[in-house]
Amino acid sequence: MISLEHIDFAYENGPYLLEDLTMTIYDGDYVAIVGENGSGKSTLVKIMLGLLKPNHGKISSTFRRPAYVPQPTDLINKQFPITVEELLDFQRQVLKIRAKTSIEAALDQVGMADFRRHLVGTLSGGQFQRVLVAKALLGQPDFIILDEPSTGMDLRSQDQLYPLIHDLHEQKGVTIVTVEHNLRYAAHNASSFFHMVEGRGHFCTPDEYIREYLQENGGNAHV
Amino acid sequence: MFEYAFMRNALVISLLISLLCPLIGIFLVLRRYSMIGDALSHASLAGVAAGFLFHASPIVSAFCLTSCFGLLIEVLREKFRRYAELTLVIVMSLSVGLAITLVSSGLVHTNIDSFLFGSILTVSQEEVITVAVLAAISALTIRGLYPQLVMLSFDEDGARISGVPRRTINYIFSLLVAATISVSIRIVGILVISSLIALPVATALQFQQGFNRTMLLSILFSFLDIMAGLFLSYWIGAAPGGITAVASVLVLLVVILIREIHQSRRGGVHQ
Ligand SMILES: Nc1ncnc2c1ncn2[C@@H]1O[C@H](COP(=O)(O)OP(=O)(O)OP(=O)(O)O)[C@@H](O)[C@H]1O
Ligand SMILES: [Mg+2]
Repeated sequence: MISLEHIDFAYENGPYLLEDLTMTIYDGDYVAIVGENGSGKSTLVKIMLGLLKPNHGKISSTFRRPAYVPQPTDLINKQFPITVEELLDFQRQVLKIRAKTSIEAALDQVGMADFRRHLVGTLSGGQFQRVLVAKALLGQPDFIILDEPSTGMDLRSQDQLYPLIHDLHEQKGVTIVTVEHNLRYAAHNASSFFHMVEGRGHFCTPDEYIREYLQENGGNAHV
Repeated sequence: MFEYAFMRNALVISLLISLLCPLIGIFLVLRRYSMIGDALSHASLAGVAAGFLFHASPIVSAFCLTSCFGLLIEVLREKFRRYAELTLVIVMSLSVGLAITLVSSGLVHTNIDSFLFGSILTVSQEEVITVAVLAAISALTIRGLYPQLVMLSFDEDGARISGVPRRTINYIFSLLVAATISVSIRIVGILVISSLIALPVATALQFQQGFNRTMLLSILFSFLDIMAGLFLSYWIGAAPGGITAVASVLVLLVVILIREIHQSRRGGVHQ
């Protein structure tokens, strides 16, 4: 379980982006965070992960092995001289996992086993994204946050990714948070939506979100 | 030439330098911190001067003071995130200012040229031992923290979430940079240490290999550069620092040139 209570957050010298935000995510939830560009979705997940400190408010988490797949537009140095296999192997050592077979297994799950010896810099955006998912899966996380995981992925990779997330949720009971613009999959998989509006947010069902969305956008949404 | 004790001492230290500089340098370069290496190597001059002032080993005192300046940079960087480069100027002004004041006031009676330019003639047996101990501790520390350092350099946020203690490792790393510089002062000289920290790594990066291979190539190139400095300086009678620095630039340029030719040939087929 992770709970955020009365969170206020502003970037240095900026206006308050989150104001009095309160939310709780329970074990086994699958929450899709939705909202307009710039509404603070990525900021919110970084606060959950402890990467950003809120100005006020309280966070408590019972998750032991969180994992994070950042938004593809976030600056990860893709030109870093490292092969796919090395990247996962170093991550394995950081997480103190003994079995080297875990690397193979994680790459298999995202269909990237054939790219083991490739430099990450030579991968396409979608392939790189899948490697980052594999890296997140390596530690057998109990809580995964994926920020717009399908951005840059072709439909086939998406058709592979979402069932994978679905399985982790259904079969292994992993708690999932995704930031989504991809409503097709989100509506299918997530148990609830968290709709961010004006520094706060509220939980709603996919149907309710679509109704709110239609209201905000004058009734012309294509979902 | 190795019948001379001073040459044997110089060789041992050179080998240690050629291992340690790229070990540290690869992380500095990939995290885009190479300027820290530059700032700290200049800062080490204050340590050398203080060593003479208090009749202590200049290498040990350089290590102590450079470590302090390294930690200071880390603290300032955390405090003033937006002015990261400015912290380097602050620390460099303070340290070099101190050094110049000490040396020019006549409080320190010594010729510090050999520390600025590097020297193979003046390395004592005692210094070899000091350098070997520093280098061994540093290399073992890097070995222990290797995966953490790689993951921090690749993606700081991801590493933090995976439980890598970023601040602690950054502080330890500052000490390692200080140790590398102190080890290198004698042979390479303060003015050009940063070339040996950054350029062999830059040369290795041209080959576009994985991390471990890039590391091995960096060590190979730094070995070439420093051996060129050592041997040529013996024959020409010039300071090894200068030759090492020029060699590291030349090797980099040659590798870039060969790569360009190679690529334009391949490109030519498609046209
Ligand atoms: N590091 C930063 N420093 C200052 N302001 C930032 C920083 N990161 C984001 N912001 C600002 O905070 C606001 C929210 O950004 P955030 O990335 O959380 O939005 P988002 O909901 O994830 O948007 P998107 O759908 O485009 O990913 C934006 O207006 C952005 O300009
Ligand atoms: Mg975002």
